[in-house]
Amino acid sequence: MSLTEAQSVFAAIHEDGLNDLLQRFFAARPRYLSYGSPGFVAATTVNSTQMSAIQFPGIPGGIDWSVQIARPRVDAHPQSAPLPAELDPLGLQRLSIHTVVEICINCNERQNRGREPENHPHDDHHGDKPPSGNLRPVCFKVEVFAIAHAERTSSPDGDAIRFIVDAIELVDLQPTDFETLIECLLLQILRAVLASVRLPLPALSAGAFSLTPAVGPEIENDQIEMYGSL
Amino acid sequence: MDITAAIDEPAADQLLDTAIGLISLPPASGAGTLGPFFASYNASASLSSGDVDLIAPSTIRIQDFRLDWNLGFSFGFDLSSFLPDFCIPQVCIDIPCVGRVCTPGFCVNWPTVSVPVSFSDFVKVTADFGISITQTGGVWRVEAVVQGTPNIQFGLVTAGLLAAISLAITPILLAVPFIGPLLAIAVNAIIAAIGIAGVTGLLGPILTPFVSGLRIPIYDQPVTFEALAATSAIDPAVFVTIDDVKAIITSTNEDELVLTIDIS
Repeated sequence: MSLTEAQSVFAAIHEDGLNDLLQRFFAARPRYLSYGSPGFVAATTVNSTQMSAIQFPGIPGGIDWSVQIARPRVDAHPQSAPLPAELDPLGLQRLSIHTVVEICINCNERQNRGREPENHPHDDHHGDKPPSGNLRPVCFKVEVFAIAHAERTSSPDGDAIRFIVDAIELVDLQPTDFETLIECLLLQILRAVLASVRLPLPALSAGAFSLTPAVGPEIENDQIEMYGSL
Repeated sequence: MDITAAIDEPAADQLLDTAIGLISLPPASGAGTLGPFFASYNASASLSSGDVDLIAPSTIRIQDFRLDWNLGFSFGFDLSSFLPDFCIPQVCIDIPCVGRVCTPGFCVNWPTVSVPVSFSDFVKVTADFGISITQTGGVWRVEAVVQGTPNIQFGLVTAGLLAAISLAITPILLAVPFIGPLLAIAVNAIIAAIGIAGVTGLLGPILTPFVSGLRIPIYDQPVTFEALAATSAIDPAVFVTIDDVKAIITSTNEDELVLTIDIS
């Protein structure tokens, strides 16, 4: 069977290439994986995205927080990377995403008065945090698996694809209600993060041939495929 | 391979038609033979589309692509080579009461003339192209490169050029004194001397270089490929490295030109 099938042009990026592209994307634009309120992120830069603190009555400035997402790795159908039982097996036209998410909040400084600032690993992430000796981050990391599909969209560089997260599963988080809560939170976060990553079609084909899409994106044969015409 | 891109034969036809139309052929000038004559010329040419036939594993045949050309040349010849020189002798007569009167005697030595000719036409060429993949100067290039020396079929072009030569010769010869009754003889003799072989002998070496070594671009991207353009200071450009490029023609239920690309 021909590659172009009923169309004239075919372009596909294998999951290995897609992972290379995503690694390059997040290396160049790490702010897509790093979010925090002013206590953690002084200003939005290429490294981090500043968000509002969680407002709560009686807490001046709100509760500072941050979310750090490790560079994700994807596995396109058919499945070749292991998945938690809840997501196994990987369905047709789906890809899995594996990452680690670290969530931090700034513990109320009044309760920590008199303690010296801890040398927390979070301090090593980026140089965008304000020099605040009062920052008392409390963090936890969780391994995340997600299932997503791809859809066509537009971008400043023309036609593009993006990934929409359909389901998420955390590893070894107890109790169950807490896991459900965090899953709900991370589903929304990952869905928003990945939906904002738009990969233009020329990037997916390394500039080989122009492609006016008609069919796709389709996830099969360990790759993402697009069909169309010149 | 990280990336696979393919086009079918109609798309390849469309792609190569566009690429061929963008090729700028440098003009040529020089000297050659036109039958028994020596001609200096300048020529320009342009290419336009043909029909693409993809032949596995690595041949792109382009049938009947057009080479439109403009040719200006001039050649010189000694009319004495075609017409006999002749002399009119002095004639004297005795006239009563006047005496002897003589007409002057003279000889006609035919001059050497130079004939400029301008002619435009096109030829159709069918050629097989191979696939060349290079990485030079930080750029990956895939090109269709013509194989060997294409055979140009001149066909009716030769008759057209002979007619153009004939038209160019006539007014020049008309300016030669005493040629009147010999004009047709001279023109026919010159055209016969050139002949079809003379025309193709001139056109072949002029036009063939326009298509010999012809390279049609298929893929042209820098090794450091900009996957996403910068949109702001906080969203800089994203680059990937193109590590390898391969190109092949596959034949399944249809023929396709396939590029495979490795990135990192």
